[in-house]
Amino acid sequence: MKLQNGSNDMVVIKNLSKAFGDNVVLKDISISIKEGDVVVIIGASGSGKTTLIRCINGLEEVTSGDIYVRGVEVAHSKSDLIEMRKEIGMVFQHFNLFAHLTVLDNIMIGPTKVLKIKKEEAHKKALALLDQVGLSDKSGAYPDELSGGQQQRVAIARALAMGPRVMLFDEPTSALDPEMVGEVLSVMKQLAKEKITMIVVTHEMGFAKEVGDMVIFMDDGLIVEQGKPKEIFSHPKEERTKAFFNKIL
Amino acid sequence: MNILSIINAAMPQLLYGAKLTVLYSIATIFFATIVGLIFALCKLSITASLRKIGESYVHLFRGLPLLVEIFYVYFALPMVLPLHRWFDPYFTPVAGILALTLNEGAYITEIIRAGVLSVPKGQTEAALSISMSKYQTMRYIILPQAFKRMIPPLMNQFIQTIKDTSLLSVISINELTRQGQIIISTTFESLQIWTAVAIIYLIVILSLTSISSYFERKYEITKR
Ligand SMILES: Nc1ncnc2c1ncn2[C@@H]1O[C@H](COP(=O)(O)OP(=O)(O)OP(=O)(O)O)[C@@H](O)[C@H]1O
Ligand SMILES: [Mg+2]
Repeated sequence: MKLQNGSNDMVVIKNLSKAFGDNVVLKDISISIKEGDVVVIIGASGSGKTTLIRCINGLEEVTSGDIYVRGVEVAHSKSDLIEMRKEIGMVFQHFNLFAHLTVLDNIMIGPTKVLKIKKEEAHKKALALLDQVGLSDKSGAYPDELSGGQQQRVAIARALAMGPRVMLFDEPTSALDPEMVGEVLSVMKQLAKEKITMIVVTHEMGFAKEVGDMVIFMDDGLIVEQGKPKEIFSHPKEERTKAFFNKIL
Repeated sequence: MNILSIINAAMPQLLYGAKLTVLYSIATIFFATIVGLIFALCKLSITASLRKIGESYVHLFRGLPLLVEIFYVYFALPMVLPLHRWFDPYFTPVAGILALTLNEGAYITEIIRAGVLSVPKGQTEAALSISMSKYQTMRYIILPQAFKRMIPPLMNQFIQTIKDTSLLSVISINELTRQGQIIISTTFESLQIWTAVAIIYLIVILSLTSISSYFERKYEITKR
């Protein structure tokens, strides 16, 4: 049985809590994300940002609360997990490209093995995606032959190849050398322009200001403040938000 | 008789023994790899009872001397299970391969398990994130990477298996070691015959070693 929540929003999180043993790392989180929105999550280390986005695609089991993706409750039904993940792409901090596969096979393996799309068709789409992330010349390379920035762009292409409605990014640029941050961010900005719903954990405040529709500031497992980037960055209401900006800016 | 003519006379029998040694080794390696894969997946399962089964299997068959396991399957087991009737007239080879398979399978279980665990967790998470099932993740992402790391320890285990087949001589399987014993019981030429037996073992094992280093090099060069 699929529960509906009657909302048209792309992702709705209701009263989500998550504990590891006695350690409660997410406390009663509620968020609504509209289709096409870019939501940027910021917060100090250990505040629960990674855990939150891992809950959204079921890499962590939630302790209590509900998560709806396009109106379908997904946090409690294992059988829907695989279906739901087809709609949600994820980009990891450390890329996690499949080390034994070429760039092209990394992108094609999902469409061919999971979505059962024909090889030629998947191949064509993979080449188009590689072009989109600016790596057409690297299709035959293995991940360990690429720079971090290139690997992350392939990882984005791999996620996009599944045709997701939502993309999750967990600090996609924080494992990169500074000179490679730009190339990854520009791919992400392009996606934002194409109106793909994005949830991005990042410390790149420039990105948040430029393409963010909403910024969420988390501290100690709570959403302390959320709002339009302009408002939050120029007039943070909460003391904790101000303290955080003072530390990082 | 000089050394050469003694060995010459014994050669057909020794080579027949060598052939059996190789055949028993291949059969054991084949079945033990399947058994090892099954119990490794048990040990890696999230289901506690399956893990327990895998652990018990490894503890039991690694914990006993192989010779005792061979005697147990050959002499003790038929007392409760009429294997000798079911498999008549092939009970002896079946018992030999079964005992070896159970023993080597326990070691291969651990090799495969360690290989799978050596693949970073991020690979599994990436596979799940593109909607792969657990089976697809194992099949397309984890096992291919684990396999590469398993080649050296598996080759060692296969070499060990060849040596272990010599214990089958105790249940009258006419592999190389037993052929040596039989020849010596009539010719009394211990030095010459055991030397010949040793050399044949070395040839078999060294050829497997060179196949193994070929594979290692091949995977080294392509790095996958
Ligand atoms: N698998 C786990 N088992 C136990 N505790 C965990 C686990 N994963 C995360 N935690 C704990 O949950 C809390 C939140 O971690 P999380 O990784 O979500 O924070 P974060 O905001 O992403 O931090 P960072 O900016 O350092 O990435 C931390 O206290 C962490 O120790
Ligand atoms: Mg994190």
